[in-house]
Amino acid sequence: MQYNVTVIGSGPGGYVAAIRCAQLGFKTSIIEKYDTLGGTCLNVGCIPSKALLDSSEHFINAKEHFKEHGIDIPDPKVNLSQMIRRKGEVVKANVDGIAFLMKKNKIDVYKGVGSFVDKNTIKITSGDGKETTITSEKVIIATGSKPTALPFAPFDKKRIISSTETLELKEIPKHLIVVGGGVIGMELGSVYARLGAKVSVVEFLDSLIPTMDGTLGKELMKVTKKLGMEFYLGHKVTSVENKGKEVLLKAEPKSGGQPIELKGDYCLVSVGRRPYTEGLGLDKVGIETVKGQIPVDDHLRTKVENIYAIGDVVRGAMLAHKAEEEGVMVAEQLAGQKPHINYLLIPGVVYTWPEVASVGYTEEQLKGAGRAYKTGSFPYKALGRARASMDLDGLVKILADKTTDEILGIHIIGARAADMIAAGVTAMEFRASAEDIARTSHAHPTYMEAVKEACLAATGNRAIHI
Amino acid sequence: MSQQVKVPSVGESITEVTISNWLKKDGDVVKLDEVIAELESDKATFELPAPQAGVLKISKQKGETVPIGTVICEIQGDGKPAEVQPAAQESKPKPAAPAAGSALAKATGAVKEMKVPAVGESITEVTISTWLKKDGDLVKLDEVIAEVESDKATFELPAEATGILRIVAKEKTTLPIGGLICKIEVMEGAGEGSVASAASASTAASVGDANYAAGHPSPAAAKMLDEKGIPASQVSGTGPGGRITKEDAMKTQPAAPEPKTAAATTTAATTGAPAQGSKGERREKMTSLRKTIARRLVAVKNETAMLTTFNEVDMKPVMDLRSKYKESFKEKYGVGLGFMSFFTKAVCAALKEFPAVNASIDKDEVIYHDYCDISIAVSTPRGLVVPVIRNAETLTFAQIESEVVRLATRGRDGKLSIEEMTGGTFSITNGGVFGSMLSTPIINPPQSAILGMHNIVERPVVKNGEIVVRPIMYLALSYDHRIVDGRESVSFLVRVKEMLEDPGRLILGV
Repeated sequence: MQYNVTVIGSGPGGYVAAIRCAQLGFKTSIIEKYDTLGGTCLNVGCIPSKALLDSSEHFINAKEHFKEHGIDIPDPKVNLSQMIRRKGEVVKANVDGIAFLMKKNKIDVYKGVGSFVDKNTIKITSGDGKETTITSEKVIIATGSKPTALPFAPFDKKRIISSTETLELKEIPKHLIVVGGGVIGMELGSVYARLGAKVSVVEFLDSLIPTMDGTLGKELMKVTKKLGMEFYLGHKVTSVENKGKEVLLKAEPKSGGQPIELKGDYCLVSVGRRPYTEGLGLDKVGIETVKGQIPVDDHLRTKVENIYAIGDVVRGAMLAHKAEEEGVMVAEQLAGQKPHINYLLIPGVVYTWPEVASVGYTEEQLKGAGRAYKTGSFPYKALGRARASMDLDGLVKILADKTTDEILGIHIIGARAADMIAAGVTAMEFRASAEDIARTSHAHPTYMEAVKEACLAATGNRAIHI
Repeated sequence: MSQQVKVPSVGESITEVTISNWLKKDGDVVKLDEVIAELESDKATFELPAPQAGVLKISKQKGETVPIGTVICEIQGDGKPAEVQPAAQESKPKPAAPAAGSALAKATGAVKEMKVPAVGESITEVTISTWLKKDGDLVKLDEVIAEVESDKATFELPAEATGILRIVAKEKTTLPIGGLICKIEVMEGAGEGSVASAASASTAASVGDANYAAGHPSPAAAKMLDEKGIPASQVSGTGPGGRITKEDAMKTQPAAPEPKTAAATTTAATTGAPAQGSKGERREKMTSLRKTIARRLVAVKNETAMLTTFNEVDMKPVMDLRSKYKESFKEKYGVGLGFMSFFTKAVCAALKEFPAVNASIDKDEVIYHDYCDISIAVSTPRGLVVPVIRNAETLTFAQIESEVVRLATRGRDGKLSIEEMTGGTFSITNGGVFGSMLSTPIINPPQSAILGMHNIVERPVVKNGEIVVRPIMYLALSYDHRIVDGRESVSFLVRVKEMLEDPGRLILGV
């Protein structure tokens, strides 16, 4: 078959790129190695983890907070297999949705491993070894990423596990050791902490979610400690061993001092993800990866003029929504349009409870750049809405330019932060000042009022409700 | 302290002014901003306000013609001792820390934002050619801080306040009219005698309102502008704080190059002819405006394959029609029935048949326009301007006539906006109003053709084997042979002729 555009990989970058291409009138195909479409995000990432996060949050509410709300129920128990089954249904509904969208947009779906023969020819090898060859004028590589293992402790998928296995556990761990206090470690760690596991997080750096603003990591540690999570920050893991029924982790403080040993039944290694390009046949088209990534220019074009790459295989944050934007951008470029992506304004979210969400510069970045800035904060506990729901943990922090008042960063930890950040991103796309938001009416009572109050605080230290 | 008052730069093509009247006498006490004199240039008359209060000492008399920058009077301080001056002169304020502990240069906290002034009606943008002062330098009011270039001329940019210069637009950047060039952190008491604190105070009061986000396009606007190939710096945003909205981006057209027909304007010699019989001659420096016109006209000649085809039109049918319906047309529509509507309609109809004449070249592509935006040359006291009748193909005769009147009036009043003068797809110029019998107009890039109308003269012509007297107008069509073939251009002009000689064709479209 002959196509205008072929997308390799059907994650949120790939399938969105394919749909946009089809919308723009290109004859489009998409190649997926796995049985279901949707990639990591839908199958073993964002969606299933949110399903479990919500279930476990319901559980902990029932267990800990219903009573205070005036709901008396007998001690709730976790039915893990039902939780996992429901998660599976959520995933299935979503991936079926993608299959429907492919059909609706008349996109040909090829199941199998796509591999370049030359820059316009791709061979697809399906699971049963059958080979199909297609040609395509343009190719978009969207093969995503895989969890990174520790060099000395490869995933055995039994005791030493990645996020994928952690979403499929048959039992609630008694003690889950998490290596890496980033987004994945904190989300999955908190799932099992809520369900009753002891969770210990070992992080090499000195803060949790270290790429985000320092305030957020500190706050997140405070609130997750309440769940019973333990933290070993600034610790370098030296070994992880599967001892059959348990796993033994050894680590030592970076700054010197006593090494520690942790024994648990599972060790989730969430130290990051690496771009995935195996089997793609990049050598056939002369593309070489750099640190695993496919080098691309500002237009996401590789060194081969008809081949583009998007999402986790290229530079930038490994986020579904970043990949989506890139997919749209490449598709529109192919149609002669000139879309933009403002990478500074790709928000980052952590689905712990309370949620963490952030966009723009962190305070550390502004300090490092010597930029004159001002801050305004507002705590959830001063918010009527948060009182009503008893979600009192968290705060909003606004960073704004000292002279122009332009918002430079928005950092939220608190209930529903993930949804709130969108308003902040919009404001920043229009280069709003803190006062602009402060003078924008916010419905009462809402969590968003915390953003308005923090903007008032940043504008002239004139928050009303504190 | 006293201040010398120089003839300010009043417009780019104005090199000298005549003092038409002194409103104050020598020795009078004048107040700040009080009008002290009337000056006259070849384009306009304007008033000269006093830059400070004091006693007027006139040095150039009424009737004298002086170049821009000449000192024409001095205003002597009103008796207050100039205590800061001697010290200020010997210590050059350091740009790095101008306000630090210096009693001489006191920051007022006010910031004067300097924006690109409107320098001419058809100029939409300027380029900062050279910064004469560095970022952080102390600049004085009216000191020239930069040289700015438009596509018509180069001019000097004087500081609008005294203080520390904060450059916003770097050298070689292009800004739209109104774009932010630099900021001056206004200081009091700095610099030499020319700075009155009153002046800084008054500038402090007029701090601009554009903010840091001025010119920032919304995400959708950014995409659209990029696709149109228009830098955001050329768009003036109407959103809050000067932000560029999607609507701004939709409305913006790529700037059309300056109409070449403007070259028809001649700058008359400003002084009388030399006495008869003498062999006197004068050498005058070419103004930058003239130089630019010269350069661009040559460029059109060099870069296009321009040639002209001619024809003649018997204007009798149009004139008959016109005299027959003149009254009722005027009564019904409130506007006179002129020739322009006939010509415009005929041109639009012919453009539809010969789309290449209405097209333009963009690098390797030809852009065909499905609409007829007709640029019409209008003579105004300020020179020739070329406003555009939009979608002329959809307009009725009455609409065209009223649009011509509207544009001509606005042109005469100098009120035409840049937008009204850009983006035409075809031009019509009428040299006939000046008595021209025949000429070869120069096309107005990126347009590909221009129709020249001429005067109507009664000539003997042969009709049906008999010599009759008819009102004849010669028509000229200059066209770019790169995309318009001879057949098309000649046929186009013949079509225009046919429709004018038989206006019924205009109605029937035959």
